[in-house]
Amino acid sequence: MMHLYTFAICLVGFAALAMATERQQEALFHGVSRVRTRQYRRIGWTALVVALGVSVVNQGWGFGLVTYSGQTSMAAGLVYLALIVAERRRSR
Amino acid sequence: MTPANTTSVKPQGRGIRQTMSDLHTWAGLLVGWLLYAMFLTGTVSYFKDELSQWMRPDVPHQRVLPDAAVVAQNVSHQLTTLAAGSPQWSVYLPTERNPVVNVFWRNAPTDVKGDKGGNRRGFEEATFDPATGQRLKARETLGGEFFYRFHFQFHPLPVLWGRWLAGFCAMFMLVAIISGVITHKKIFIDFFTFRWGKGQRSWLDAHNALSVFGLPFHLMITYTGLVTLMAMYMPWGAQVAIKTPAERAQMSAQLSAFPPPIKATGDKAPLASIDAMVRQAQARWGANDVGRVSITNPGDAAARVAVTRGEATRVSMSPQYLLFNGTTGELLDVKDNVGAAAETRGVMYALHLGRFSDLHLRWLYFLVSLGGTAMVGTGLVMWTVKRRSQLPDPARPHFGFHVVERLNIAAIAGLSVAMTAFLWGNRLIPADAAGRSATEVDLFYGAWAATLLYALGRPARRAWIELLWIATALLTLLPLLNALTTSRGLWHSVAAGDWVYVGVDLMVWALAALHAWLAIRTARHKPKLKTKPVRAAQVAAAAQTSDTPVNARLNEDRA
Repeated sequence: MMHLYTFAICLVGFAALAMATERQQEALFHGVSRVRTRQYRRIGWTALVVALGVSVVNQGWGFGLVTYSGQTSMAAGLVYLALIVAERRRSR
Repeated sequence: MTPANTTSVKPQGRGIRQTMSDLHTWAGLLVGWLLYAMFLTGTVSYFKDELSQWMRPDVPHQRVLPDAAVVAQNVSHQLTTLAAGSPQWSVYLPTERNPVVNVFWRNAPTDVKGDKGGNRRGFEEATFDPATGQRLKARETLGGEFFYRFHFQFHPLPVLWGRWLAGFCAMFMLVAIISGVITHKKIFIDFFTFRWGKGQRSWLDAHNALSVFGLPFHLMITYTGLVTLMAMYMPWGAQVAIKTPAERAQMSAQLSAFPPPIKATGDKAPLASIDAMVRQAQARWGANDVGRVSITNPGDAAARVAVTRGEATRVSMSPQYLLFNGTTGELLDVKDNVGAAAETRGVMYALHLGRFSDLHLRWLYFLVSLGGTAMVGTGLVMWTVKRRSQLPDPARPHFGFHVVERLNIAAIAGLSVAMTAFLWGNRLIPADAAGRSATEVDLFYGAWAATLLYALGRPARRAWIELLWIATALLTLLPLLNALTTSRGLWHSVAAGDWVYVGVDLMVWALAALHAWLAIRTARHKPKLKTKPVRAAQVAAAAQTSDTPVNARLNEDRA
């Protein structure tokens, strides 16, 4: 169950980091805003740090770091796939 | 990414990036086909035990894990007659993932000389049913072990040759990763970038994404892969520093989970209770965390029993064991830590194998590693995609291009066919056929060679599509074949709660779907044939589409 929480936090983190990029802001908000970029970056990185903390506290450094590493890779990949799907839908 | 910042970055970065880009391209291409195979078979090896279970359908499904102490006692009792006179037995106790007892024992020295045509390896193996303590007659197969041994020593090549080849490939992989990171100048800006339907640009984006998301894993797996065999690749440090037998014994104690050998006295003495020794280990590590019981000189007065800790509860492969006097049952030694350097190696080894993983972590390992496989695959395909647009006449490519293109087809689509053929062989070769384990391996290589011939004989595009469809068909029909040839088809497995069998069947279908998708995408793809020289084609395209600035810059980004 704990795995799901940390994975969800990673997903939120990467989704926020994606929103902080110019390309996604252009697509979603039709314009790039510095304030928005900074806010989303802050949310994204905070979420990733929190997920790391939760993982390590729950599973210790060894297992925590390994799980965190796998979860961040998967979460980034899922966000990426979601963005592709979203863009394909928009362009239809 | 805007055109303005691309041009402003270029003057400082171009030299080193260009060099690194060339290094990346050619280092990757040289070993790419073998790397792809190592990556894919290694990925599958995260489910080695499950695959081995699936490949031994004659071994019944075990619902509960029996007590390790009882099992060890029963099996060692059987071994006193089965392996009488052997200088060493190793009993691998059942785990949740591998519910049988695997036993290896060294042949008695006289046996080896007397038995000329027989077993030259010098050891025997057997499988026991933990519930009954009786020997299991399972079909002879390497199971998931084949993919495992293939991925680091290209079984059945001679072990030394295979491992050197794998190490060579891994070293190039490391070079490709580092030069790739240096080449990829917009790692953060392009982190979530994918441009659909832009030909070479899309391939590059996919390759980048697969590389960057899994970067911690790719670096870890390549480096730790080299570390697992470092004593073989770079023995000189140890050779210079360690000279006396005492020092050598000390080093092996740091690395090996087998206690130092001891001479037999020749006086007969019965073994003490193995049961009690395993219980002591269970009290220390936990009921299910006893991995192996090794008995040296059984039946002799100088018998020693080592009870080794399992792999499931720690991120380290460093040796941990309890050493007992085999005749009195007295605890002689507790080995529970090693020096810092040896522990570093132990942790890296464990990280590579991932045997400590629970189901969640194992799937993460599998999926990220599958991403790594796709990274190598996209890299290989990209080499041809990029060069096809620059060919003077795409219908008649030059020899080098032709070779790379065909090898790509056989290495990527062909490997899927070969690996599935191996599983088909497991179900179709009669269970009692002589040398069936080797026949399965032959089938794998035979199928792989056939796909190469096929790729050479067909037009490239048709060969991709057809081989992908063949892989799809073989994968789709595999669970049906399983249901026909064994009594453990999908519905039966679901009813019996045999989740390993259910998992393998469903996973095979998922992979079939993946191959079908790839085949359909390849079939739908319409290559843009450019018969004009490259520059003229770009100018012509510029008039028609707005993508051209992106495509034109490509050659500068990653020439």
